[in-house]
Amino acid sequence: MKRLLAFAALAVALAFAMPAKAQTIRILMETVPDTEMIREMLPEFKEATGIDVEIEAISYIDMHTKLVPQLIAPTGTYDVIIVDFYWVAEFHAAGWLMPLDDLAKRDGFDLSVYVPKVMETTGTVDGVTYMMPFYNYAMGLVYRKDLLEDPAEQAAFKEKYGIDLGVPKTWDEFRKQMEFFTRDTDGDGERDFFGTVTQAQRGDCVMMQSSNFLYGNGARYYDENWNPTLDTPEAIQGITDFADATMKYSPPGSEGFCFDEAVAVMTQGKAYSIITFNNLFATINNPETSAAGGKAGITPVPGGGLMGAWGWAIPNSSPDKEAAWTFLKWVESYDIAKRRALKGSAMTQTALFTDPDIVAARPEAPVLGELVATGNAFPVFTYTVQFVEEVGREINLAASGQKDPAEAAKASQEAFAELLRKDGKID
Amino acid sequence: MRRGRLGGLAAHGVLVVFCAIIALPLLWMLRVALTDKLTAYKLPPEWGSPDLDNFVAIFVEAQFHWYFLNSAVVAIGSTVIALPLAAMMAYAFARYDTGGATLRLFVLSSQMMPPVIVVLPMFAVFLGLHLIDTWAGLILAHLSLSLPFLAWLLVAFFQGDVRILEQAARVDGATRMQAFLRVTLPVTAPGLLAAGLLAFIISWNDFLFALILSGKPTYTLPMALSAFQTQRGVEIAVMAAGAIVAILPVFVLLPFMRRYLIKGLSLGALK
Amino acid sequence: MAAAVTSLARRDRRFGLLLTAPGLAALIFVVMFPLGFTVFTSFFEYTLMHLVHDTFVGVHNYTSIVEEEYLGEAVWVTFKFVLASVVIEFCIGMAVALALNRVTRFKNIYYLILLAPLLMNPVVVAQLWRMILHSELGIMNYLLGGLGIDGVNFLGDPEAAFWTVVLVDIWHQVSFMAILLLAGLSALPREPYEAARMDGASAIRTFIHITLPLMRPVIAVAVLLRLIFALKTFDIIYIMTKGGPGAATDLISYFIYRSAFFGLDLGRASAMSVVLLLGVLGLTMYLYRYMRSLA
Repeated sequence: MKRLLAFAALAVALAFAMPAKAQTIRILMETVPDTEMIREMLPEFKEATGIDVEIEAISYIDMHTKLVPQLIAPTGTYDVIIVDFYWVAEFHAAGWLMPLDDLAKRDGFDLSVYVPKVMETTGTVDGVTYMMPFYNYAMGLVYRKDLLEDPAEQAAFKEKYGIDLGVPKTWDEFRKQMEFFTRDTDGDGERDFFGTVTQAQRGDCVMMQSSNFLYGNGARYYDENWNPTLDTPEAIQGITDFADATMKYSPPGSEGFCFDEAVAVMTQGKAYSIITFNNLFATINNPETSAAGGKAGITPVPGGGLMGAWGWAIPNSSPDKEAAWTFLKWVESYDIAKRRALKGSAMTQTALFTDPDIVAARPEAPVLGELVATGNAFPVFTYTVQFVEEVGREINLAASGQKDPAEAAKASQEAFAELLRKDGKID
Repeated sequence: MRRGRLGGLAAHGVLVVFCAIIALPLLWMLRVALTDKLTAYKLPPEWGSPDLDNFVAIFVEAQFHWYFLNSAVVAIGSTVIALPLAAMMAYAFARYDTGGATLRLFVLSSQMMPPVIVVLPMFAVFLGLHLIDTWAGLILAHLSLSLPFLAWLLVAFFQGDVRILEQAARVDGATRMQAFLRVTLPVTAPGLLAAGLLAFIISWNDFLFALILSGKPTYTLPMALSAFQTQRGVEIAVMAAGAIVAILPVFVLLPFMRRYLIKGLSLGALK
Repeated sequence: MAAAVTSLARRDRRFGLLLTAPGLAALIFVVMFPLGFTVFTSFFEYTLMHLVHDTFVGVHNYTSIVEEEYLGEAVWVTFKFVLASVVIEFCIGMAVALALNRVTRFKNIYYLILLAPLLMNPVVVAQLWRMILHSELGIMNYLLGGLGIDGVNFLGDPEAAFWTVVLVDIWHQVSFMAILLLAGLSALPREPYEAARMDGASAIRTFIHITLPLMRPVIAVAVLLRLIFALKTFDIIYIMTKGGPGAATDLISYFIYRSAFFGLDLGRASAMSVVLLLGVLGLTMYLYRYMRSLA
C-alpha cells in the first residue's frame, strides 16, 4: 500500500513537472500558410539570437476565446500574440497590450514602412502603437475573367443594360452583373449559377462581407465625430443590396454561410463573383484546388472594400518582453518580410507591393496593394466585438428575410449608438 | 416460438435502420478522407482516385500522434480517477443516503452551469497552481465534468438486487468494506463499465477546457481537429482523415471490452 | 437493544462519509472556486476591462437580465431544443437498447457502429454535417433532388436551422442514452420476465408492465442527465450556426458565452449562469423527489 502511494505521488509530481528550458518564447498564431512560412525560417532566428521560438497555431475561430483568459492573468503563457484589428481597442482598454513606440525608437525600427491605412486601423489606438501589422485580409471582388471576356455574354449584357460588360468600376455596374449572371442553366426551374456568393452567417462572417455592400453604396458606419451613420439612405440601400444578393443572387443557404462554404461554391465553378478576403484569391485561381482555376481575376470593390488585418502584439502578461521584441524586429524586417511575400504571404508593408521581385512572382501584387490602401475598416473602439455581434445579428435578420432592411438599419444604428455611449465616444 | 423469432427480427430491423443512419454519414466521411477538398464537394459525386495522402499528412505534418497521446492520457486518467470516487459516493448515496438531498444536489449543481463561465475562474486558479498546460490540470478539469454525473448515475445500479447479495455476505461476517469490494462491485461491474465508457467519451470530446487550459504540448484531439479550420477554408478532407484515425483505436479495443462485459453479465446472473 | 441499533446506524453513517469523502474533496477542489466565484461575481460590476470586485451592485445584474432584448428568445429556443432532443433521444435510445438487449448475433458490429458518433468530437461532427447539408453543394440535397424532393435550406432558413441543429445533436448523442438504458436493462432480474412468458403476456404488455416500471430509476437518471447536458449544448452552435439565422438557434449557453467573451461583462454573464443554475436545480429537486418515491 505504501509503495503504491509513493508511486502515485511520484506520478502526480511528474505530471506537474515543467522542464526547465533555454530562453524560449512562445507565440500564438492562427492556422494560415504565413505561419508555416515563418516556422520554416525559425532556425535562422535561433542562429542569429540563440532564442528558441515555439509557435502554437490555432484556428481563428477560437483565437479570441483563447486569448481572453490569457490576457487577464498577470503572467500569461505567450510572449507574442496575433490580434485581429478590431480587438485592438478592446484589448487596449483592458490594459492588456504593451505600447511599442518606445522600443521602436530605441532600436531604430521604422514603423512607417507599413501601409498607412493598415497602421491606422490595426497598429495604433489614439496615436500609440500597440501592434505591428502582420497579415492583411483586405477584401476584394474576385470574379470570373472568362465570363467577362466571352463575346456572347458581352452582347447579351449590352443588350439588357445598355452598358458594356467589364471589370466593374462602380457599384451599380456590379449590381447589374450580379443580377445578370444568376441563372438557371439546366432548365429545371432552379437557379444553379449565381451572380455572387454571400456569407450571411451571424457574427463576424456577415459583418465582414456586408460592410463592402455598405461602402459600395457610399455609406459609412460613423462620421468624423463618431456619430453613427447607419440609418442613412445609403446604409439602408447597402443592407437592402446585401439582402437581395443573399436571397436572390446567391445560393440558398447563404444565410448561414461563412467564407468556407461561400468560397466552396466559387471553387466548384458555380458563381460569377464573390467578395472575399484577398488571400483566398490564390485558392480560387489555382487549378488544383478550384474549378475556376486560371479563370479568376481580382479587383478592388467598387466604392471601397473592407480593410482588415492581424497584427503582432506583446501582451503585458508576456513572460519575456525583450525577447519578444527581438523576434518582432526580425520577423518584420524588410528582408524577412520580403521572403515571406515571395512565398505568398499577406503583405502589410507598402514597399513590398511594388517590389519588382515580388511582382514578378505574384502579378496581382499591385492590385492587392490598391485593395489594402483603399480599404475602409470597421469602427475600432472598446466594444467593437459586441458591435460586430449586434449589428451582425440585425444584418443577418435582414439578409434572411426576417426583418425589413430599413428596420434592421434603425436597430443597428441604435445598438451602435448605445455602445458608443458606453465607451464615452459620444454622449 | 414464432413470436420469439418475430421479436428477434424486429429487433434486428430496428438496429439495422439505426446503424444505417449512423454509418452512412461516416462512410461519406471516409470517402472525403480519401480524396481532396475539391473532389469531395463535386456533384454528382466523383470518385476520383482515392489515396491515403490525407492520412499521411495528419501524422507527418500535423503530428497527430502527440494529440492522440494527450487525449488518451487525459481521458483514461480522468476516467480511472473518477470511476472509483464516483462509485464510492454513489454507493454511500444509495445505501446510507449520506448528506441527503443537499449533498446530492450540490454534487450535481456544478454541472448545471455553462462550461464557458466555469472555465474562466478555473483558468485563474490553475494558473496560480501551475496547472496550465499539464496533463494533471486537464485531468482535474475533466473530473469536474465526469465525477458528478457518474455519482448520480451509478446510484441506480446500486439499488437493485445486489442488496440481497450484500446482506448475505454481511451475515457471513464480511465488513461493510469487504462486502462493497468483494460483492457489490463485481456484480455491478457491467453497469460501472458502461458508465466509465461514457465518462471516457465526455473527456475525449471536450473542447472548451482543452482550448483554454492547455498549451501546445498538451493539446488534445479536438484542438488538433479544430486547427483544420484554417483561413483558407476548412480542410475538410484532412479533418475527415483525422476524425477516422481518432475513432479507430476504440474500434480495435471494443472486442476485448465486450468479452469482459459478457463475463460481468453472467456473474450477475449467478444467484 | 436500542444502543446496538443506533451504534449500527452510526457506523453505517461513518462508512458512508468515509466513502464520499475522497470524491467530495476532489469536487470541492476543482469546482468550489469557480462556482463560488461565479455566484460572488454576479453581485458586482465585473467586466474584463476592470477585473476588480470593487463595485457592488447587488441585484442589478439580475434585474438587467430581464431587460436583455433577445434573452427571452434564447430561453424559448433552449426550451424547445432540450424538449425535442431529450424526448426524441429517449424514444430512439430506448428502442435501440431494447433491441440490443434482445439480439444475440452481430452484437459486436452493432456496438461498434453505435459508439462511433460518440467518439467523434463536436467540431468534426459539426463540420461534416455542414458539408453534407450545404444547400447547394451538399450530398443531402443532391439525394433529395434525386428523389424528386425540393432542396432544403438546412442552415439558412430559421425553422430548418433549428431542426437541423436538433437532429445533428441527436445523431451525435443518442448512443449515449442508448448505452445508459442498455446498462440498466442488463441489470434487470429475469424472474418477472419468465413469469410473464409463462402467463403468455405479449411483448408490448411485458414492456409496459414490467420493463418500464423496473427501469424507472435508471430512466429518471438518464433523462435528467441528458437534460442537463442538453442545456449546456454549445459546440454545435459555435461551429454550425453561431446562434443564427437571426436568433433561431441561440441556445442559452451560447448566449452566455457571448455575454462573457464579446460583451466582456462577466458580472452579467455570471448572473445569467446563476439563474440558469437555480432553474435547473429546481427541476432536479423535483425529479429527485420523484425518484425517491420510486425506490
